[in-house]
Amino acid sequence: MPFISQIQRQTDYSSFPSSCPIVIDNGASYFRIGWAGETDPRVMFRNIVQRPRHKTTGETVTIVGDHDPALMKYFDCTRSGPRSAFDSNVVYQFEIMEYILDFGFDRLGADRSQVDHPVLITECPSNPIQSRSKMAELLFESYGVPSVAFGVDAAFSYKYNQQLGFCDNDGLAICSGFTTSHVIPFVDGEPVYEACCRTNVGGYHVTDYLKQLVSLKYPHHMSRLTWEKVEDLKMEHCYIASDYASEVRLFQKGDKEAEEKTRCWQLPWTPSPAEEPPSEEIARKAALKEKQSQRLREMAEAKRSSRINELENELKGLEFLLQQLNHVEENDIPSFLAESGYVSKQGIESSLVKVTQSLRKAKREEVESEEKADPSTAEKYTLINIPDNMLTPEQLKEKRKQLFLKTTSEGRQRAKQKRFEEELEREKLNKQDEEKRLENPELYLEELRTKHRELSEKVEQRKRLKTNGGHTNGNNVSGGVGRGERLNAAQKERMRLLTTAAFDRGKGEDTFGIKDEDWQLYKLMSKDNDDDEEGPDEDEAELARISSRLREIDPAFVSKSEPGSSASEIPRFRPLTKEDFQVILGVERFRCPEILFNPNLIGVDQAGLDEMTGVSMRRLPSKGEGLEERMTKSILLIGGSCHFPGMAERLEAGIRMIRPCGTPIQVIQASDPIFDAWRGASAYAAAMHFPQQTFSRMDYFEKGEDWLRRYQLKYTL
Amino acid sequence: MEPEVIESEIVLPTHFSFKKTQMYEKYPKGQARGRHWKHLKQIIQAENYQNYPPNEPNYVNIESPPSMHPCKRICDITGFEAPYLDPRTSLRYANADVFKLIRSLPNEYVQRYLALRNAAVVLK
Repeated sequence: MPFISQIQRQTDYSSFPSSCPIVIDNGASYFRIGWAGETDPRVMFRNIVQRPRHKTTGETVTIVGDHDPALMKYFDCTRSGPRSAFDSNVVYQFEIMEYILDFGFDRLGADRSQVDHPVLITECPSNPIQSRSKMAELLFESYGVPSVAFGVDAAFSYKYNQQLGFCDNDGLAICSGFTTSHVIPFVDGEPVYEACCRTNVGGYHVTDYLKQLVSLKYPHHMSRLTWEKVEDLKMEHCYIASDYASEVRLFQKGDKEAEEKTRCWQLPWTPSPAEEPPSEEIARKAALKEKQSQRLREMAEAKRSSRINELENELKGLEFLLQQLNHVEENDIPSFLAESGYVSKQGIESSLVKVTQSLRKAKREEVESEEKADPSTAEKYTLINIPDNMLTPEQLKEKRKQLFLKTTSEGRQRAKQKRFEEELEREKLNKQDEEKRLENPELYLEELRTKHRELSEKVEQRKRLKTNGGHTNGNNVSGGVGRGERLNAAQKERMRLLTTAAFDRGKGEDTFGIKDEDWQLYKLMSKDNDDDEEGPDEDEAELARISSRLREIDPAFVSKSEPGSSASEIPRFRPLTKEDFQVILGVERFRCPEILFNPNLIGVDQAGLDEMTGVSMRRLPSKGEGLEERMTKSILLIGGSCHFPGMAERLEAGIRMIRPCGTPIQVIQASDPIFDAWRGASAYAAAMHFPQQTFSRMDYFEKGEDWLRRYQLKYTL
Repeated sequence: MEPEVIESEIVLPTHFSFKKTQMYEKYPKGQARGRHWKHLKQIIQAENYQNYPPNEPNYVNIESPPSMHPCKRICDITGFEAPYLDPRTSLRYANADVFKLIRSLPNEYVQRYLALRNAAVVLK
């Protein structure tokens, strides 16, 4: 049953005499109001209030109940969520209660100067007096109600079903509501409040549990999982397993039965447009890249040829100069040389050699001088072998220079050798990779993809930690230290160090820094942050390598290189399929209502429904003979949360476990678990002796709070 | 106001004929309204139930005691039976695959799973 609301303004308010009471079922989920004696409430709506701002006029308005989302778009609802007057099952926010009552009375058709009818309103069992008195005050003062009566909704429901014959004078009412669940025993038709039992788990908690579980399992669909939608899902698909352990084992085994019990919710999804555009794009991009590289190559070629031309010109000039030198006479050499700018003939020759070398390099010929260096080193290092004491100082200097040259050239050779070996290694690995790929392309691709994913996650996580740590590093004073930093062990250690360092120095002068150990602290503190930086570099290099590889071989790969991408995106390693948009409810179907029987699952340390019946019967003050047997024979299920299929059987099994063997147990669901409370209250209010059960404004002021505390309705009239 | 909004009457009118004091008189604009409502815990405290005889039913009396049954241990992620506990995250898990999944979860999700069980670390 999805949300129902009936808010048509009633027009026959004036046709009811002043003595006809108004009956209100004030529940944490729904508010129902109507006239006594009728079978159905006239007006009902969800018991929530929203106060959004109207977008254009800017005024804050009040909207009661759940409304059409199409109309809500005119309002700015960001700062106003739905608010309830209830805290657990007790009314505490009377301003909201007043809005709700306003709306209720208004839709019932009230139009005179005050609400001139007695009012019967429901409350929770053992309602605190404050709540009760404030409610009475509200009704008396603001609405001018002549007399008020308070009753427990479960009791009204029970009496109504008793009249219908579903249960007897002595029985047990198990009422599972929106925020709480109660077990109330009835003896001689009256509820025994001393033996009543309440657990703070209700339909709201079941829905919340389901919502959390599904959001955690499918974080990308979180936006679609609104509370209302999850409530719908719960009402449609959840059931109570007769035995949780065996049911779960079915699912664990993966039986066909388990498959049948799994429900799949398909979200609306449009398949992405087919592969033509991507491949076209890819081809286009490839062509662009080709053109760019072509252009670059041409530019490089042009530069190189121009450089070669320059060098050749220079070479020609130098040769010409040499020739001229040969032709010039001996005396004119210095002046001629001074003109050309070279110091001596050797200078010209050496620059000639240099230019030829660079020309040859530009033409990519083997540079002979390098090879020449090797045999020449043997000659150049002649001095090394001669021991020191036989050399003159200049020769010693020479020797040192030669030593230095030798070691560096040897080092260079070694490095070249190592590079060569590494190249070979990499070639070998690549070949192996290729072989693996050729033999099993799919598997290889998958492996690569998973590796990429793991690495990228690791890198991202470390980056996240780093930025968190970075924030504390920069901004200790601003107080923006969040949970992310505190939970890391390294950061905790750092904080500890900081606090002890700051604390030890105490009053007086600051003696920090005198001892050497103090500076060790700085090293430790800063090391924590440096440590993180070396690790990921290799990971990142690996990641880059794998992504480039994937890009080559996998046409559908899109590298996730943005650091800011959150986990809420679907990892796009393959084109999105229909399955990505399915929400599968398997174990959750019966795991969520299980909390009604086992509140430990959500951390509420109280007894579940079946245990509560035992507790309640134990608490009975006076046990006549056979009373308990009579009670177990008429157990009634009331409340919205008892609509789960399988609840009656489970309760029966549970109660059988705690009662002596062979006791008759009968668990019946009320004729209409949701509306029976209102119907019972309406029948009660229509009875003749009802006015004696109410109290008027005079009573309220004269008799005081103590009397109000002890005020209880007598349910058998 | 748009005509359809007025027509559908979802907005609560500010003046009612049957009320003696209207809302805008009771709660003048600009004053902080929400702060002075007591929450349930405060209401219960103010009730002073210890002054009254203990066998009289009151809101605190009728609450259920803690469960006598041993706590049922189910896996936090899948819902199967979970005999194992992960010491690092203190999540319950059912088998090795779930364990792998748990170890790969970011911290935020771990805390949310724990919060389901009311076992999350709360820093105040």
